Amino acid sequence: MDSVVVDGLRISGLSYLLIFVVLGIFYGLIKLLLRIFPAKE
Amino acid sequence: MTELLRGIVGMSDWRVWAMFCVGLALIWLAVKKEYEPNLLLPMGFGCLLANIPFSSAVGGGFLDVLFKGGITNELFPILIFIGVGAMIDFGPLLQDPEMLFFGAAAQFGIFFTMMLAVLVGRIPGITGIPGLKEAAAIGIIGAADGPTSIYVATRFAPGLLAPITVAAYSYMSLVPIIQPPIVRALTTREERMIRMENPEHEVSKTVKIVFPIAVTLIAGIIAPMSVALIGSLMFGNLLRESGVTERLSKAAQNELTSLVTILLGITIGSSMAGKQFLNPTTLLIIAMGLVAFVFDTAGGVLFAKLINLFRKRKINPMIGACGISAFPMSARVIQKMAQQEDGGNFIIMHAVGANVAGQIASIIAGGLILALVH
Repeated sequence: MDSVVVDGLRISGLSYLLIFVVLGIFYGLIKLLLRIFPAKE
Repeated sequence: MTELLRGIVGMSDWRVWAMFCVGLALIWLAVKKEYEPNLLLPMGFGCLLANIPFSSAVGGGFLDVLFKGGITNELFPILIFIGVGAMIDFGPLLQDPEMLFFGAAAQFGIFFTMMLAVLVGRIPGITGIPGLKEAAAIGIIGAADGPTSIYVATRFAPGLLAPITVAAYSYMSLVPIIQPPIVRALTTREERMIRMENPEHEVSKTVKIVFPIAVTLIAGIIAPMSVALIGSLMFGNLLRESGVTERLSKAAQNELTSLVTILLGITIGSSMAGKQFLNPTTLLIIAMGLVAFVFDTAGGVLFAKLINLFRKRKINPMIGACGISAFPMSARVIQKMAQQEDGGNFIIMHAVGANVAGQIASIIAGGLILALVH
């Protein structure tokens, strides 16, 4: 297969996966913040 | 005399007439249809200014100065993001952080379209998409986020900036037309009628202040290329949430955004010169932009359906479509669809949560593409 196509597939797959990872970290961050700083401070 | 006549002589080029039609069509869409008028109107007029033969607005004129001073150096999209950040209330997302994952899922169209552009670029005779950078710049139309598209296109494919921007903003304004048929095709009526309880807990002011700072630091450390985009968005949001810079927050939301939108629109329009714009690649980009929006929507909805397989309390899968960004249009469209099926179904808070998650996810996607594509 064309190297550009292979690179494209690799980068697309990795980027899509990394978006979930980064937003997963943000999910954990929000959960943590909500626990540390509850609404009634 | 020759000087006076050269403008008229220049009108013999068919591309001038064609671009006049494009410019007037953009103005018509803005005025008559009210599709993204704040951007399409300046773009349409900029297109007219740039295509008048021997126009003094380009070729060293004020539009060239604006292009070098605001687009080439990426200043305008960054300033727009400060205003967008000041307008966004992350409250619904902070109340229901699960919505973040719909933002991630609905970026699928970016990568699908990027691969499609790579394959189209391999077709003999198509020269406008020579490599991965151009394909990535086309794919990022699926971010459904104008400034991110402009930012990536400026770096990766400055020659394709005009059609990419036109496609991005046009399809954002067409979200009410693009999304409903896809959502209906992928969901049953029962699924569209699923009610979701609004989160009961409130979010403290401290969380709202810490969130933009923490996101900037984390995203910046993971993907330094995204710092300019995410940092400006979160800076604007911090102005809003801090509670002590109300004047600055209002200025970012109103004066800054309005001023930069005028300059951005007319400058992008000025890059639509007939010689560069009228070619088969432009048509391909417009077509692939639509593919990006369709697969974004499908990615979000199908992800929600997948999640529902493992949940007791089901999510209305239409929420997935809001992860497309296009804030706040997408959330409004989905709420309207929910009420068409069941007048008492209010999923707007979840929809807005997914929508702002899409805003964050699209910037992360842009940053990752900038970091990974060489």
